[in-house]
Amino acid sequence: MAATGCGVDEVWNSIRAGTSGLKPLTLFQSPRYGQIPAGEIQQDLLALGALSRGSRSDRLGWLAAREAIAAAKINFSSCADRAGIVLGCSVGGSFDSERFLTTLIKQGKMRARPTRFHECASVVELIAEEFGLFGPGMAITTACSSGALAIATAAEMILAGEADVMLAGGADSLSRMTWGGFHSLLLVDSAGCRPFDAKRAGTSLGEGAAILVLESEEFARRRGAKILARLTGWGASCDAHHTTAPHPEGEGAVAAMQSALNRAGLKSSDINYINAHGTGTRDNDLVESKALKAVFGERVPPFSSTKHFFGHALAASGAIEAVVCVEALRHQEIPPNSGFLESDPAIGLEPVTKFQHAPLTHVMSNSFGFGGSNAVLIFSKPETIPLTRAPESKPMVVTGLGVIGPGAICEREVEKPLPPGKVLVHSCGALADAASLTPNQRRRFGRLVQMALLAARRSHERDSSQRLAVAIGTGLGCLEDAGIFLENLISKDEREPMPSRFPNSVHNAPAAQIAIDQSACAMNSAPTMGEISFESALWQGIHQLEIGEADCALVGAVDELNKYPLAIGSRWKKWSKKTIPGEGAMVASLARAENSATPLARVTAVRLGRWRKPFDAEREADWIASAVDLEKIEIILSGAKGWPALDENYSAVAAELSVRAGGKLEHQTYKQLCGEFHSASGFGFSVAMNLTREKKCGVLLYTLSPRGAKAICCVQP
Amino acid sequence: MEILPEELKAKIIQSLNLEDITPDQIDNDAPLFGTGGMELDSIDALELVVMLEREYGIVIKDIEVGRPAFKSVNTLAAFIAAKRST
Repeated sequence: MAATGCGVDEVWNSIRAGTSGLKPLTLFQSPRYGQIPAGEIQQDLLALGALSRGSRSDRLGWLAAREAIAAAKINFSSCADRAGIVLGCSVGGSFDSERFLTTLIKQGKMRARPTRFHECASVVELIAEEFGLFGPGMAITTACSSGALAIATAAEMILAGEADVMLAGGADSLSRMTWGGFHSLLLVDSAGCRPFDAKRAGTSLGEGAAILVLESEEFARRRGAKILARLTGWGASCDAHHTTAPHPEGEGAVAAMQSALNRAGLKSSDINYINAHGTGTRDNDLVESKALKAVFGERVPPFSSTKHFFGHALAASGAIEAVVCVEALRHQEIPPNSGFLESDPAIGLEPVTKFQHAPLTHVMSNSFGFGGSNAVLIFSKPETIPLTRAPESKPMVVTGLGVIGPGAICEREVEKPLPPGKVLVHSCGALADAASLTPNQRRRFGRLVQMALLAARRSHERDSSQRLAVAIGTGLGCLEDAGIFLENLISKDEREPMPSRFPNSVHNAPAAQIAIDQSACAMNSAPTMGEISFESALWQGIHQLEIGEADCALVGAVDELNKYPLAIGSRWKKWSKKTIPGEGAMVASLARAENSATPLARVTAVRLGRWRKPFDAEREADWIASAVDLEKIEIILSGAKGWPALDENYSAVAAELSVRAGGKLEHQTYKQLCGEFHSASGFGFSVAMNLTREKKCGVLLYTLSPRGAKAICCVQP
Repeated sequence: MEILPEELKAKIIQSLNLEDITPDQIDNDAPLFGTGGMELDSIDALELVVMLEREYGIVIKDIEVGRPAFKSVNTLAAFIAAKRST
């Protein structure tokens, strides 16, 4: 799904014909920038068969998923537990939430809250539900690199044996938020983007979705699938340099490309084509060209950016470009760098300007995002010999723990845009060691990022000799920055935007700022998946250690409490009176056991999945028992929160496991301490750590989302 | 029309949320960006672009245009004065 067409064939034909999808915006009124071209999908999504529920991003993702599944001729009913989904999504339901906020701000009226579909995880949940996927699932929200990092993560899940088949890609719609935000950063070319051109003056925003069906070799052969291409390499890194600007020499981009080549067992000279990130901004294209020269030397392979066709579809971008790479291999054709006219001497490289046939065996796709998060993929012809390196399942230990929270229960005044009133909340209160942050960190960042920075500092002593990976889960991200930015944008009709708020509104702001603070140059990720956002981060962090891409991983979770989550993102009104909204941050420092002299505890299992409706406690107990040695567990610590329908499920599973373990299993809960927030299981993890250290026993952290996601994590002395 | 440095400094402090700094701590000729002065960064430059439009009605569409003007308080004051007299 892209501005140039709905469906892979339409998109590829538009590339062959050289037709750009950039046109003046019609999706919403933009008082100030309305005539500037965008890569908008102008077809009626409902007429194409999209679900009537869900946000615009959800619909785009669902349509791409439908096409991918039909093309792969796969039926999930026989492999549902081994089928999962990882999608990049960073705008999420913002476009639809903005309509709610506009009505609230301009007319003072509350319409139905967009709660369920606001979250970036919504598209993942909706597709998993509709197509019956019960394996692991998460959304990756690292801004512009999300789609590529999602595909890499899905591949890792298959190699780690967590699934046989994964839907992987990304989906993001246009929104007032990103439209106003990119304009506030002066990153939009009013003539339409011209990647690598001497007169380039910014990117063009776009929207879309693309999904690949990734399968293990064995599974694909067994079911007789037609194999389109092979994902042979992937690499992730972080610049750890600046919120929006790339590292001036492209160090992170170089590292990600090298890591992808290593993973694939290829030399740089094996690459026949590169689909560049090529946003068309002055900085990106210059730095990317330096990085290309650093990796490929004098012989940079033919390369092009396809952003002038689609616009920059943010989290969908890396996924759309992955499809472009697969189609390039299939047709043995190189897409041109539309929009390019004049060489830039500072760049000193020229992209491919004409559509052409070429023998292609290995092609590379680059994606670089805000916060310096980079991801690179390599696709190869199906008949190439794969270099499969399965992760080593080694014992992992926690070496440090940092927690912000929980505070006392207090009454908090709520003000506009919500109807004024009082709500009971669990607040972490004033951040005690905020004074230790730098003046720039204090003036620039809101509560969410500050909480995450402080928790990370408590968990880990900065050591730049280590390769440090960071994965920080969040349910709602920086809704305060996003809310203030949007309120200002809407009420002032795009005048006087807030350029310092916008870059902080992305979900990966906490992870990116931790990376800068701690010089963390390995993978940098911000997964989100409702109640299991923390466990998703834990899985990613541990996995980076298992595949040897990092020496240490900071994994954690953070969510903040203010009026915006209460207005847009939280479901607190639906809960029983026993449930009180809360907030908090937790970061744990993890390493391989062999590299740690004084571990606090071991992490012996992490598993993600979805539960089936109606809830079947025996089936859940089977799932847990297959990953955990019940003999070693004495406490099951659940996310029960005073919501009877869900709490009964926790109790039923705890009872079933207790029977299987010989009756000695104790069921405990933690949300009475921290309140309810999406990533509360991060706080639960710290409680589990304390229990395992105090009582010298194994603790199983068990989390269920009312929307179907589930996770377990096991810690032992 | 002349722009008073003191007034401009107060506006810079406010728009960049520099709570710890008072106007007299800013040297009128010291570099605002890079090392050796205020050490502001590219996002602060964008906030200054917004401030120039809000306070003085000056619209900057390309950050490269603003760069020479953002060298110091004095260069910025001169830039505003020149723009306002045209």
